[in-house]
Amino acid sequence: MFEYIQIVFSFEALLTIAIGTVAGVAIGGMPGLTATMAVGLLVPFTYTMDPTMGLMLLGGIYCGAMYGGSIPAILLNTPGTPAAVATAIEGYPMSKQGRGALALKVSVTASFVGGTFSVMILLLFAPFLARQALAFGPAETFLLALMGLAGIVSIADENSSLIKALIAGLIGMIIAVIGTDDMSGSLRYTMGMIELIDGIDFMPALIGLFSMIQMLELAGAHSHAIDTSLIDKQNKREPMPKGISKHIALGSGTGTLIGILPGEGATIAAFISYNFSKRISKVRELFGKGNPEGIAAAEAGNNGCVGGSLVPTLTLGIPGNSVAAALMGAFIIHGMIPGPELFNEYADRTYPFIISMFVANGVFLIVGLTFAPYLARIALIPPAIMVPVVSAFAVLGSYALNNAVFDVYMMIGFALGGLVLKKLGFSLEALILGLILGPIAEGGFTQGMIIGHGSPMIFFESSIAKVMWVIIGVLLIPPLYSYLKSKRT
Amino acid sequence: MAKKHVDRAVLALLIVMAVLLFNSTAGYTGIALKTSAKYVQFLAVSIGVLSVIQLGFNIFKEQPSVKLKLTDNMGRFVGLLICLVLFAAAFETLGFFIPAAIFIPVVAVLLGYRRPVVIGLTTVGVLIFVYLVFIQLLSVNLPGLEFLGGV
Repeated sequence: MFEYIQIVFSFEALLTIAIGTVAGVAIGGMPGLTATMAVGLLVPFTYTMDPTMGLMLLGGIYCGAMYGGSIPAILLNTPGTPAAVATAIEGYPMSKQGRGALALKVSVTASFVGGTFSVMILLLFAPFLARQALAFGPAETFLLALMGLAGIVSIADENSSLIKALIAGLIGMIIAVIGTDDMSGSLRYTMGMIELIDGIDFMPALIGLFSMIQMLELAGAHSHAIDTSLIDKQNKREPMPKGISKHIALGSGTGTLIGILPGEGATIAAFISYNFSKRISKVRELFGKGNPEGIAAAEAGNNGCVGGSLVPTLTLGIPGNSVAAALMGAFIIHGMIPGPELFNEYADRTYPFIISMFVANGVFLIVGLTFAPYLARIALIPPAIMVPVVSAFAVLGSYALNNAVFDVYMMIGFALGGLVLKKLGFSLEALILGLILGPIAEGGFTQGMIIGHGSPMIFFESSIAKVMWVIIGVLLIPPLYSYLKSKRT
Repeated sequence: MAKKHVDRAVLALLIVMAVLLFNSTAGYTGIALKTSAKYVQFLAVSIGVLSVIQLGFNIFKEQPSVKLKLTDNMGRFVGLLICLVLFAAAFETLGFFIPAAIFIPVVAVLLGYRRPVVIGLTTVGVLIFVYLVFIQLLSVNLPGLEFLGGV
């Protein structure tokens, strides 16, 4: 193991990891640019590089991008990645209170701990955990999506209607149904538009519902004066909140566990961690108003997925998510077929790659802590300058994912429709959660129904499914009970 | 328009959508009938039932008549929306750079900013950043570079 550590701590390797991580943070911080896109684009470039260095570069991008998504989520209410939506719920209110620097500090620390913990698990238990993940079938995937959707109940608080939050989640799931039906191959609800054949991408929706609505509201605000009291607050260095470590630990464990399961883990992990955190918090009433505990759990959760997603990827050749799939492509390009051979025949490349991710987590921790106070000053930029610049990036980000102007119109449509729904008290976070988790839920449900020969009992049969139903119950029943109690009083 | 009336209209629309969505599953064929159709029916029934409950609360619960206000300054709000649509419309023919070079200063002025140097530097900064990061580093295929001579 010592020789692998030596490889990682050579000057060339450290520089490669640092470049990859910083680039990842920048990419993750720009809505419309995803870690999958960056890793996918750079895989061919690593072909001419030393395989170990190439993999370290891509690993750095993956780690950096997962953290980077939280920066605009906190500062501009614009999640750079879908996994940062839960972070925006708590981060942006903190930013508006002049506590953006603390929110960024909590976010980077939680991301570091979650990421490091998951890589440690990958290093120590990968082959064992991969065998357990194989017991996870479509029925369990459906239940995992339901667990994520249970987060909707947490999003609704005493100020917003639970029923409206659930309706918003269902609207998102219905929008996700548009496109080609995977079962029959026929088109559903596309209204004859060829742009809708592949369905509605979540990125224009995410940009429209978060970034663009924010800009429309700022543009139409009564006053554009900057709150000068924020300048003093920004200059104050707040210490890390007490008791935050248990929320980070909770998120790290949850994220790693969910990351190991194949699927789009990071968003589900962030919301489930956020939900768990709200349940155990002593200051539950502060959730939704800028509670650093929520940021800690969500960020530890989504970064925990990084190492977790590589467990089935490296040991079984089953990618944990789309970024892991792109990374798997890099392994294959370099002649390394995922499986036990990676840990035997190619151990001199695989282990340095895994160890390099510890360094990558350290790099974004240093970058994040160093720049947090300066980044937080973004909140002080005059709205008349911020609005056109962010709007231009919103247009660019919507276009860049599929190179389609149609997506730009979709983004504007989501912004306008979302603003009306928001003013009527519907939760936009619930809507986007439904839109992202809808396809995962449908995939698990339809495949489960096929395996169960049309009987829904498949969703209750396995012992994992039974445990998951209990967890869903634990997540849903207490808030539903308190909601009904508050309605009665 | 009163907020409660818009709320009722939206909920009524959702109920109509739920019925249409449920009925649409009759058109599913083959294996989709036992799989995708069931999923869509579940969504349709759920949103329909919840919308009916919410509409019931809305009608039978006494609510103050508050006007639905999307924005405090309708002129700036609509102005930004129009600029966005024009930006998107110009995107395919003129590319990103020319419309963006017009969009950013126009919106800044529309929102009441009157410092030409700051506006100019910001616009140039954004364009250079996009060129370096999106075109040079990430090779994102933005339209309009051919218009400028093909980079």
